[in-house]
Amino acid sequence: MDENMLCTKTHEYVLEKDGKYEVGITDYAINQLGDIVFIELPDTNTEFSKGEVFATIESVKAASEVYMPISGKVIEVNEEIVNNPELLNDETYEEKWFIKIESEADQVELADLLDYSDYREEVE
Amino acid sequence: MTKRTFLYDKHVELGAKMVDFAGWEMPVQYTSIIEEHKNVRENVGLFDVSHMGELIVYGEDALPFLNKLVPQDISKLTDKKAVYCQLPNKDGGLIDDLIIYKLEDKKYLIIANASRVDEDLNWMSLNQLGFNVEIDNISHKYSLIAVQGPKACDLINCAGLIDLPPFFSIKRAELFNINLWVSRTGYTGEDGVEILVKNEFAEYVWDKLLELGKQYKVMPVGLGARDTLRLEASLHLYGNDLDENTTPVEAGLSWSVSKTKTEDYNGKKVIMEQLKNGGRKKLVGFRMLDKSIARHEYEVYSNGEKVGVVTSGGVSPMRGENIGLAYINSPLDKFSVGSTIQIMIRDKLHDAEIVKRPFIEKRNKV
Repeated sequence: MDENMLCTKTHEYVLEKDGKYEVGITDYAINQLGDIVFIELPDTNTEFSKGEVFATIESVKAASEVYMPISGKVIEVNEEIVNNPELLNDETYEEKWFIKIESEADQVELADLLDYSDYREEVE
Repeated sequence: MTKRTFLYDKHVELGAKMVDFAGWEMPVQYTSIIEEHKNVRENVGLFDVSHMGELIVYGEDALPFLNKLVPQDISKLTDKKAVYCQLPNKDGGLIDDLIIYKLEDKKYLIIANASRVDEDLNWMSLNQLGFNVEIDNISHKYSLIAVQGPKACDLINCAGLIDLPPFFSIKRAELFNINLWVSRTGYTGEDGVEILVKNEFAEYVWDKLLELGKQYKVMPVGLGARDTLRLEASLHLYGNDLDENTTPVEAGLSWSVSKTKTEDYNGKKVIMEQLKNGGRKKLVGFRMLDKSIARHEYEVYSNGEKVGVVTSGGVSPMRGENIGLAYINSPLDKFSVGSTIQIMIRDKLHDAEIVKRPFIEKRNKV
């Protein structure tokens, strides 16, 4: 996991890359969910506010909702994990982000999030 | 305060994820639910099911007492044989589902669901008046280990028991020089046994089976795969598919109900009437026609109308699709194998097809 990512207490992360943001769920969350068998992601250009449900992820055990860590507009969707959700459980696979977004509220909303190390402390 | 089985330390040592189930801290998975599931279908799996309840019913009136409690004919049960039973209330709704073994004349062993033992005991005491019978709850003295899969019997042979009991029978046996009970039953649709052993020997037997089982590719299996395995085999889960508002007929368990039993039993009037005319609802199996997953309590629709509810749903690792069980409540004759229904998943309707149950071919009829 990239040490620069910021996390929510509900296990989402956001990572800045060239002024855009990658959004996904943490390695801890993936491990807790176990076998992931289904992911539903939004269409590009959909706009979400911070805290809104933007995705659903199903493991063998249960369905979980995924919340936006910051507000923004979807500019890219990771179709690879939609088609092969089991890739999330593959430790050698790197591209585990769900969506890429543009955000205007970033500076205000990012401040509420946890550093990765603080997040790990929080969940362990 | 959650309870722990005598194998708790073993689960932690094996890296299991522990969850609360019916007040017990149980392993939900060790490695991966899908991997554990497939290993039970291909090789053999070891399950700690010590949370299940074990009751001994004995005494002069043990037989008439049990016959008052269940729709099955317990007088047909011969020594060491077992029968799948239900425990109906006066209206035919189910308090629990059980396996009853005849150990010997006037002495029976009952295996009950962990979540229902207290209810069962309460119901049995209410029905005990006038019967010369004792009910002994031995759950806290015994551990239960299930060994399931096509190589389960090879493993048990190897552990020192050559003559396995026949399907749905139990016998007193010795494994690794430990005296215990071995029954040819399970909850996976595979061949295999369940081992009832005194708590103090549980760890020893568990370790030996894991060690000896290496040659058969044994894996410990958690409750997660236990659930997906039983769903593929279309075996009911109490609390999901069975409850006090569901009769054996409605649950698709008419096959298990005695049609000839003369004794009266709780719920007999309703159950016999439903055997003739059908129930208020009907259990069906379905497969999702897309990649979505139906879950417990999702609603079932047909032509825009709500017609039922999903009671169990999930993935079928062997079919490579998602499956489930649902109760359809109106009108029953419209829904048969091949019919399309819709399941409401997160405010959207998803197509599913009613299919034959079980979802896989069972391999435990020996």
